[in-house]
Amino acid sequence: MVANNPPNASDKTSDRELTRRSFLRGSAAVSGVAALAASLSPLRELKDFTSTEQFLQKYYKELNPEDMQKVINRIEGEVQHQYGIRPHVRDLKPMDGVEFVYCLNLTRCIGCRKCVHACVAENNQSRSPEIQYIRVLKLPHGSLDLEKAEHRYDTKQVPEKGFFYMPIQCQQCKNPPCVKVCPVNATWQEKDGITVIDYDWCIGCRYCEAACPYWARRFNFAKPQIPKERLNPEMSYLGNRPRKQGVMEKCHFCIQRTRAGRYPACLEVCPVGARKFGNILDPNSEVSHILREKRVFIQLKEEMGTSPRFFYYFDK
Amino acid sequence: MERFQPDNTGEPAPRTHLVLVGIFIGLLGLAAMFVADLWGRVPAQPVIPPVDVKFLETTPWRQSYADMVAAKEDMSDFDCYACHEKGKPPPIRYDANQKIIIPKEHANIKMGHGNHDRNNLCYNCHNEANLVTLQVRDGRELKFDNSPPLCGSCHGPTYFDWENGAHGRTSGYWNTKQGATKRLQCVNCHNPHAPKIPTREPAPGPHSLHDAAAVAAGVKTNSH
Repeated sequence: MVANNPPNASDKTSDRELTRRSFLRGSAAVSGVAALAASLSPLRELKDFTSTEQFLQKYYKELNPEDMQKVINRIEGEVQHQYGIRPHVRDLKPMDGVEFVYCLNLTRCIGCRKCVHACVAENNQSRSPEIQYIRVLKLPHGSLDLEKAEHRYDTKQVPEKGFFYMPIQCQQCKNPPCVKVCPVNATWQEKDGITVIDYDWCIGCRYCEAACPYWARRFNFAKPQIPKERLNPEMSYLGNRPRKQGVMEKCHFCIQRTRAGRYPACLEVCPVGARKFGNILDPNSEVSHILREKRVFIQLKEEMGTSPRFFYYFDK
Repeated sequence: MERFQPDNTGEPAPRTHLVLVGIFIGLLGLAAMFVADLWGRVPAQPVIPPVDVKFLETTPWRQSYADMVAAKEDMSDFDCYACHEKGKPPPIRYDANQKIIIPKEHANIKMGHGNHDRNNLCYNCHNEANLVTLQVRDGRELKFDNSPPLCGSCHGPTYFDWENGAHGRTSGYWNTKQGATKRLQCVNCHNPHAPKIPTREPAPGPHSLHDAAAVAAGVKTNSH
């Protein structure tokens, strides 16, 4: 410790002497530096810094095909570095004359939650902490009061007598409140009806989560953890590529499947065929038939004016 | 510039020295603990195990006749005339309550078609004149791999829905220009002898780890 001598020290011996003043000054300096170091110490845990490429990346809608190819190469490299698997990342564009609609048969749903986990597996959601896009509500018969809904039911067998089940996920609204509140335009509605998120543009303010009346949006509070062997390598830029900490995510109708003509994962796994998906602009599609012929009773929270593309219907 | 000087500008008392050094060591230790970040660290959450892969299975619950042929399954159950005699319909026996008696050779069949017994009769669907086919009430004779029209002869609206894709499971491609839509048959989900779908074990719900409020309130949650 360096002794700060008082300028008018009376005798020579006190030159090397420790005075209270100099001591306090020195110790304050040492503990100040130490406190600064301590306050910066969380930075030591930062391993995956945002790459310069990602930092300088342009807005999704301004990327030309060559830029997009570079971005895809970067993402493939990052995933391979983290998981040891070379993924196949694509940027699928909406098709002409296609608008997606989802229909769910409440008479058929047995509440087995297989859709929840098929979705997690398909869309590379974090397993721990857990992120799930679909929430299955258990409601007593004769009521649609969501206040009476239970989504943590833990019965040995489903369905239970006297209850029905209502899975809720992103409703892909025609008038999406989440898109309106985004301060940076990181989420928008595509022309095929899917509301997408650019995970590289999202700032994690969670306004959209607050705006959504369906609790469809999920936030990555922690770094997502996905076991290597469960990673789905078939990825899409706006869809199921691995997310990072601090960004929003939500159901995107399995964009990497549906824009390639396939059914979403939750539909394929549904053991009772309660889930129906297709192009509403095609009059011969399943969903067109359902909306014409079946008792399609709700768009959930219709009074919100969100006009969902997700319809619930009944048999009989 | 005059600085404040204590009266005894000479040697500080040894006692003061000791106290100052003590304080200094204390502060240094505190700083070291800050740097090492010994407290204030959020404890790591226990890892949630990934869900059992059986809940990710997309294969249908049952195999249709066509599936069994394709999978080269043992088809001896469908070889009726290995036991029965051709041209001689097997008789149906009833118990005292007019309920059908299932012969022990067919003990694997559990009758339960509907909430009444009226449909628990073999020849409502099976063709007594030719056991390897099914018969519709209007006289049509159907092969085992083409059973939906038989079901549809009673369950008309459901059959209509199934034909249009509103009832039953589909997989593959919604866009038929890019690939085939696979549509399952009635018997892929329903046992024709007891069509009501039995209850199932549900997949685990949202993990309780992240809902401390619910745990504190004693809400029963999944622990697996």
